[in-house]
Amino acid sequence: MSTVRLSRVSKRYGTTVAVHDLDLDVADGEFVTLLGPSGCGKTTTLRMIAGLIEPSAGRIRFDDEDVTYLQPRARNIGFVFQSPALFPHLSVARNIAFGLSVKGVRREAIDKRVEEMLALVGLAGYGERMPSQLSGGQQQRVALARVLATDPRVLLFDEPLSALDRNLRDTLKYSILELQRRTGKTAIYVTHDQSEAFAISDRIVVMNAGRAEQVGTQTEIYLRPETPFVAEFIGATNALEGRIAAIDGAGEEARARVEVGGLEIRSRFRPGMTVGDRVLVYLRPENLVVVQDGQEDRFENVVEGDIERVIFEGPTAQLRVAIAGRELRADVSGGERLTFIEGRGRVRLGFNEVTLIAAPEAPAPVVEPAVTA
Amino acid sequence: MSAANVAAAPGASLPAERARRITRRRLTGLIGHAYVWLVLIVFVLPFLTLLGYSVSGPGGTYAVQNFQYVLGSFGDNLWWSFRVSGLTLVINVLVALPAAYGIVRYSFPGKRLLFSALTLPLYVPGAVIGISLVLVYNFSYHLTTSIWGLVLAMAVGTFPLMLTPIVVALRDLPVSFEEAAACLGATRWQTYWRVVFPLIGPGVSAGLMLSFIIVFNEYLVTLFVHPPSITTGPLRVFNLVRTAGLAPTTAALAVTMQVISFAAVLVFFRVFGTRYLKGTYLI
Repeated sequence: MSTVRLSRVSKRYGTTVAVHDLDLDVADGEFVTLLGPSGCGKTTTLRMIAGLIEPSAGRIRFDDEDVTYLQPRARNIGFVFQSPALFPHLSVARNIAFGLSVKGVRREAIDKRVEEMLALVGLAGYGERMPSQLSGGQQQRVALARVLATDPRVLLFDEPLSALDRNLRDTLKYSILELQRRTGKTAIYVTHDQSEAFAISDRIVVMNAGRAEQVGTQTEIYLRPETPFVAEFIGATNALEGRIAAIDGAGEEARARVEVGGLEIRSRFRPGMTVGDRVLVYLRPENLVVVQDGQEDRFENVVEGDIERVIFEGPTAQLRVAIAGRELRADVSGGERLTFIEGRGRVRLGFNEVTLIAAPEAPAPVVEPAVTA
Repeated sequence: MSAANVAAAPGASLPAERARRITRRRLTGLIGHAYVWLVLIVFVLPFLTLLGYSVSGPGGTYAVQNFQYVLGSFGDNLWWSFRVSGLTLVINVLVALPAAYGIVRYSFPGKRLLFSALTLPLYVPGAVIGISLVLVYNFSYHLTTSIWGLVLAMAVGTFPLMLTPIVVALRDLPVSFEEAAACLGATRWQTYWRVVFPLIGPGVSAGLMLSFIIVFNEYLVTLFVHPPSITTGPLRVFNLVRTAGLAPTTAALAVTMQVISFAAVLVFFRVFGTRYLKGTYLI
């Protein structure tokens, strides 16, 4: 158990920068997830923490110890790979015993520890089986038991569930979280799967193109994205481009009037934003509400348009509504969604929650334009 | 299912159609079998003839004592063959394991070229290797009177057969096993001994088997570089045929060597199958 601190860590391959000046502090016992699309540098970061890759620059510390150039074997870490990487020629028990036996721990102590670990991951009695006789989920549990047996300072997970099927992923991610809580280990987890990251993390680091875009809790990341990338990568959103036309009021009540090609959207704004600034406007589909007659005053913004199509998704239905020349997505749920199955007609959408982010110098939102899934 | 559907539709003309199809299938089967048997006869018959000749005695009788001769008078030659093979295998393994590891796990300039150069002996005629080695031994190393000259010659000639299957096995072995071992606290040596070597064992065994068969039966290169005091099995067979004609006892020695080689192959296939021989010129 210990803290992990990355200071200005970079990794370059020739002229390609895989990780750029990354700073990260992980508290003792904390569960931090590195989340990002493939190629964003999250796995490279994890492998640098493990010592499997040497950073090009920067420092990595466990507690006060500088481990930047330490061999993986000297770091006392537990690394769980995407493939379980169980040694196929050794039984389950001897796989779990591996870390202890290479350190020369006495036989009886090892046997006792192996039994403990098997019980911990719910596989008591499986010690004599070979890895090939286990299911994918069981293999990953054994991999977990194998790293926990050595009592590591830090647990590192490199997309450990991505090779498993969906149901198994759902149960196993909670097992991982529970084991981490029970053992109190510091854990760093890499995934590209948002729901996984949201389910198990204390904090999430959203990474893109080798940089940490935002570090925060689930609610911070989802409700208050700080960069266009985070706003568009996490969840679904409607992305619009606009200009601040005016600012009304002051203090808590201050609202910006944003001009978005023919529409005017009222919204809170960030300190520092002034009239004339180019901004990106993000509207979450679940925050766009179909307005019934007489409810107009519940919303700061009400826009009107034609329903282009309706995508029924079971618990929710997506309305694609043409408003001022662009398509907005609104998600409706409950009984209301059933009234839109016919999918035609005019509709008014009301919303209060709007995210404004200063438009980057270079044009273009980062992921796909308009509506991202 | 589909056959039944088809049968229901056009009615009477069908039995004739089916009969024709069956006849054609029988014919193809017949030709196939004939071809397999032909191949067997062409390839196996010489060995069977040799086997028959090796047990023939004077006046058309059977003579098992031909094989007693093998253990007695030719025992020495077989023993030399075994010794040369054994030493060659040891040297080959010791050199090929680190070489294969370096080639597979690290990237360095000229890697492909190096691998091609290392497999060169496969494509060079034995006589060329023999002459080159005689030159080198005579003028550079003065190895002409020791068994090591012969062993080194064999090692050079069969090194690619040892290297290739190990390279194949290592390429099939995901790096994550080694990384997992390292993260669990294993040193490099512990990782090699406990993880890498056991997992590439079949590849190493394939190399051992291939090298053994080639070295054990090598005649041409041996002829060039063998010291006068050392006569291996194949050399003895050739000498006897040249000086005394083809005697049944000589055939018995040849058969014995054949059986030993077959046994090596059979044991390997029983234990590991053919997978690890990919990339060598045998499969």
